[in-house]
Amino acid sequence: MQVTQTEAGIRMKGTVAARHVLPSALLVRACGLLLLWIILMGPAPQNLPLGLVASAAGVWASTLLWPPDGTISWIGLVRFLLRFLPQSVLAGLDVARRAFARVPDLHPGMANCRSTIPGGLARDSACAVMSLQPGKLPVAADPDGMLHIHCLDLREAVAAQVAADEAAFRRMLKPERRDG
Amino acid sequence: MNGLADIVTVVLVTVGALLFLAGTLGLLRFPDTLSRLHAISKADNVGLGLIVVGLLPQATSLTGGLKPVCVWLLAQLSAATASQLLARTIYDDQVEP
Repeated sequence: MQVTQTEAGIRMKGTVAARHVLPSALLVRACGLLLLWIILMGPAPQNLPLGLVASAAGVWASTLLWPPDGTISWIGLVRFLLRFLPQSVLAGLDVARRAFARVPDLHPGMANCRSTIPGGLARDSACAVMSLQPGKLPVAADPDGMLHIHCLDLREAVAAQVAADEAAFRRMLKPERRDG
Repeated sequence: MNGLADIVTVVLVTVGALLFLAGTLGLLRFPDTLSRLHAISKADNVGLGLIVVGLLPQATSLTGGLKPVCVWLLAQLSAATASQLLARTIYDDQVEP
């Protein structure tokens, strides 16, 4: 039910976004997607028509999913990645340690934390990012911002970890797009 | 130089494969569905990342190196999204039987 509400919200914002995204912004997105296609499929001319169609489809999808003022702070993005990548590696090693233990070292359970990320696409993205961080897997978000998080080990300081994850994510968002 | 590159490749790909093994072990040994979801989303992701980084020294061109990196980024994106959708569905089923 939660997912349906969120998706509906994204679709509504997407409809607005489709009307307001500047042509230059669409061109940048199209070039980026075409570049990605060329990297993945190679620069062979016979692949290019399909690449152009795929890029156009990607741009159309982005107008539905990406807010019109959906800019991010590049410095914030770099700082976020510098934290996210090591944490992501730690998450994998943490799972490996627990999985290889003679008896899996787990105290799983649910924890609730109030999110400071605005609802909508921003919060959904933050939850997706958090699911790749050590020991946490957001499973639901209430409309008031309460996150329900499945944890591998409830003995850890989950609230502090969530606050740190969200602080790093928030630095990426420019103030004008905080409505997600 | 080639020897060093090969050593880096062998070490990183081996560790990456071990992380895939850890993810599979977690899938089999962890006690509940949501915990198993942690295992396959987190360990496999890092395993794939290490394999990609390990293969970079073997790349013969810039695009040959960028391609696996892009594949890894797309895999990260899809793993995060898929684990979210699965987790929400599982949680909803548990809350509203």
